[in-house]
Amino acid sequence: MRRNRLRHLPLQILLMLALAAIMVFLLFPFYWTLVTSLKPERELYASRVTYWPNAPTLASYRKLFVEFRFVKPMLNSLLVAAGTTVISLTVSLLAAYAFSRYRFRGRRFFMTMFLTNNMFPTVLLLIPLYAIMRKLGILYTPTALILAYTTFTIPFSIWLLHGYLNDLPSSLEEAAMVDGANRAQAFVRIILPMMAPCIVATGAYVFMTSWNEYTFAVMFTNEANRTIPVALKNFIGQLGVEWGMLTAGGIITIIPVCIMFFFAQRRLVEGLTAGAVKG
Amino acid sequence: MRYRKTFLFMMLLGIMATFTLGAQTRPVTITHWYWADNPNYSKVMQQIAAEFNATNGKGITVVAQEYPWDGGAYSETLFRAVMGGGGPDTSSFKLTSTPLFTANGLLVNLDPWLAKWPDRDKIDASLYNTMRKASGTNSVYVMPWNTQVLYVYYRPSMFRRMGVKVPTTYEEFLEACRKLTFDIDGDGKTDVYGFGMRGARGGHEPWGSFIQARGGTFEDFTTPQAIAGMQDFIDLYRKGYAPPTAPMDGFNEIIANFKSGKTAMTIHHIGSSIGMIDTFGTDVDAFPFPGGVGRWTSMGDTENVMLKGCKERDAAFEWLAYLATGKGQEMWCTATGNVPVSKDVQKLPFFQNNRFMKVSIEGAPYAGIFPILDTTTEWISTIWPNTVAAALTGKMTAAEAMRQLQKGLWGK
Amino acid sequence: MHRKRLVLWPYLLILPALLTILAVVFVPVLKALLMSFQSYDLRRPHRIRYTGLENYGEAFSDPLFWQALMKTAIWVAAGVGMQFIFGFMLALLLNRRFPGRGIVRSLSLIPWVTPGVLIGLMWRWIYDGNYGVLNDLLLRLGLIHDKIPFLAQQSTAFPAVILTIIWQGIPFFALMLLAGLQGIPEELYDAADVDGANAVQKFFRITVPSLKNTIFVTTLLRIIWVANSVDVIFNLTEGGPAYSTQTLSVYVFNKGNTLNLGYASTMAILLALALATVAVPYLRILFRQQEAG
Repeated sequence: MRRNRLRHLPLQILLMLALAAIMVFLLFPFYWTLVTSLKPERELYASRVTYWPNAPTLASYRKLFVEFRFVKPMLNSLLVAAGTTVISLTVSLLAAYAFSRYRFRGRRFFMTMFLTNNMFPTVLLLIPLYAIMRKLGILYTPTALILAYTTFTIPFSIWLLHGYLNDLPSSLEEAAMVDGANRAQAFVRIILPMMAPCIVATGAYVFMTSWNEYTFAVMFTNEANRTIPVALKNFIGQLGVEWGMLTAGGIITIIPVCIMFFFAQRRLVEGLTAGAVKG
Repeated sequence: MRYRKTFLFMMLLGIMATFTLGAQTRPVTITHWYWADNPNYSKVMQQIAAEFNATNGKGITVVAQEYPWDGGAYSETLFRAVMGGGGPDTSSFKLTSTPLFTANGLLVNLDPWLAKWPDRDKIDASLYNTMRKASGTNSVYVMPWNTQVLYVYYRPSMFRRMGVKVPTTYEEFLEACRKLTFDIDGDGKTDVYGFGMRGARGGHEPWGSFIQARGGTFEDFTTPQAIAGMQDFIDLYRKGYAPPTAPMDGFNEIIANFKSGKTAMTIHHIGSSIGMIDTFGTDVDAFPFPGGVGRWTSMGDTENVMLKGCKERDAAFEWLAYLATGKGQEMWCTATGNVPVSKDVQKLPFFQNNRFMKVSIEGAPYAGIFPILDTTTEWISTIWPNTVAAALTGKMTAAEAMRQLQKGLWGK
Repeated sequence: MHRKRLVLWPYLLILPALLTILAVVFVPVLKALLMSFQSYDLRRPHRIRYTGLENYGEAFSDPLFWQALMKTAIWVAAGVGMQFIFGFMLALLLNRRFPGRGIVRSLSLIPWVTPGVLIGLMWRWIYDGNYGVLNDLLLRLGLIHDKIPFLAQQSTAFPAVILTIIWQGIPFFALMLLAGLQGIPEELYDAADVDGANAVQKFFRITVPSLKNTIFVTTLLRIIWVANSVDVIFNLTEGGPAYSTQTLSVYVFNKGNTLNLGYASTMAILLALALATVAVPYLRILFRQQEAG
């Protein structure tokens, strides 16, 4: 194995360069957001583009937290996104398991229905949805957003998890069931550990969707429970964009999610070892 | 005995007083929605609400809730909420949305309150007429708040450098656009463009001045006069007197270009004057858009409305009145620099001594609005920018573009 | 008894998902479907009535509809195609062991984490014809001599928005495929090593077949997603200049925002039908394979 690696050294370097190229493309706008958030406004529209601010300033960040209490929308977003992720994942996992491991009447119909559910643009559904949330008495509470996001993330989550489940060899759980475990036990002991990376990935999808959503958020929240996208949008008025605070807000939004994912992705590695056991 | 009588009388008075006061101070809450054009406006609005709550003496509490402007989608957010049975009691408003709201019966007719409102005549009668016309009825549904008159910002230093005098006619203005397009460093590339053109959404307002200066009207865009105005607009771009980015330049871009010295003139209203003074000090000034055959400039506007779900309508009107002619009017217009609708507030020294306010008031007599029809919002947001972009980039002639604009607004 | 319970189980398992969806979107979607057969324009509420297929007729004779449909096809093909290719490459690269892998993996998610509000503005800022960093970089590299107003020209605006959606979608594929890669037993590769297979052979003989369902599902979902996405285009260009970036979903969004909901619904349904022509063969293969396997 090691000799193999050495022999392929040029290839290794080439691959790392490819990785670096893709990462530069992915990260450049982030870097640019960071630079913008540190620039005083005068420097933004200067005739020479500067790649690092001449006079970096944290004024926007200070203003964001002190004057605009940005922590509040962050906590609101976190509550909504975490709530949605837990509920949506649980519900979707059950359904995905059913679609993957059972053959039952109406299966195709239901799967297709879940797929088409998200095809209708939300802009056409806003008025009745608002009325429903109001009738349920949850308008202007985080519950309204959690419910809305759960509804709109369930279909894709089911499909994603269903895809992963089908790629997992079912021989192992069958073996466990032959050994006397029932389906539920086999699911918890065998499938869940093997699915860990896929659950993390699907959870990331649900989390991001509810973390970044604007259209529902502006309708179903008020100042008490505003989420990040609405708070950010408030920085864009008729008289221009508050570049400093908008970009600072963006950076502050991105970093905690990346840190969270850094810890979550360890599951991806654990999943690897779990996968190796089954051989 | 005598003391007892007085005492009894006093007690009775006391009870009556508590009773009547109690009736008046029954606490009432009014929810008000607004958008903030910049974070400072948001603070001012909260201050106005707090000030009103502390001083109205009628137990009215206004809860002011900020919603994003969202490029104008604020109006649709408000509309959807009210259509869905919710929404606020009162809200800030744009006149162009009036047909949409009145057609669905979402606004409260303000006539009964206006009839007995002592401050009514502090607002010019013509403004009420504009409000009536927008609703397509003989009633006022929309309470005036403040206006902004568009004018031309210019850089006196660039005018001096190129030997250009402040234009007083439309022809001189076009000439100035040409003369003020120049190359600073001698590399053969244009460094300063004469005119900062707004080709993206919202650009119809400055554009309207070109159409009317040639004698065109908004009732018929296809007249030779209107087409000539369009041709002038296109020529400014095609001949390179406006930045190449113009078809997609919106508010941000025209202001940034002006502030960075990329353009010598641009058209906007007093709302941006504070920022201009920050950047240039005295090296920025303004003149009213000059006249040709005709003369017109756009009057921007912001109003307040009472929504149909409002239960405490007397209290809500109290608040709307406070914003229109009370302390709220003064606080708002002083902080934002917008033109007050209250004649009393207009007379305050702050407004009399401001050079941009003077130009605004100079332009007011020929300032107007676009026809407000149920097609207007769509015309503004998609039809105008896309059609004009096609004309600017040469995909369409002036006449073809004007035919499309006519069809988009008037349906024929 | 035992057999009956087996039949009941799957229904119980999908019940929570089904109920949530029925409770929240069933009525609104039904209403929207009906709106497509009505002159449902809230700007003219008193004229709302059933008009049969009138909206559909209008769509078919609307040149902007056909143009938007074409744009959607290009948008989806180029957008999803490139997202998939680069996302898969990134997944494979991130699946290799190297120091700092965890950090790189988290950083690679950034485009996906970035709020939609900001994506549009930042890219608009990057493409800016006067102060934009892209112009500056190209000038410094000597690739161009004059600044290009990327978003103001019809020829460059559409490629520019497509580049942005590619950027935004790469992390999705990278993450999803990376998760799938974890499930492939290493023994399969070891066995292939013994057989003397090279990297390319291993990729096509082991990796791709093992990820078959994941690839299938992620591309299908992403096609639907990108076809319906509005955020990026709207925040960058609002569909302009001269409708050159107006995909069908942006057209629907614009019509929906002017509250001509009937016509917007009609076009939304037509978009769904267009997507069905892609999805149905997809599903047919999927279901056939599953029932066989």
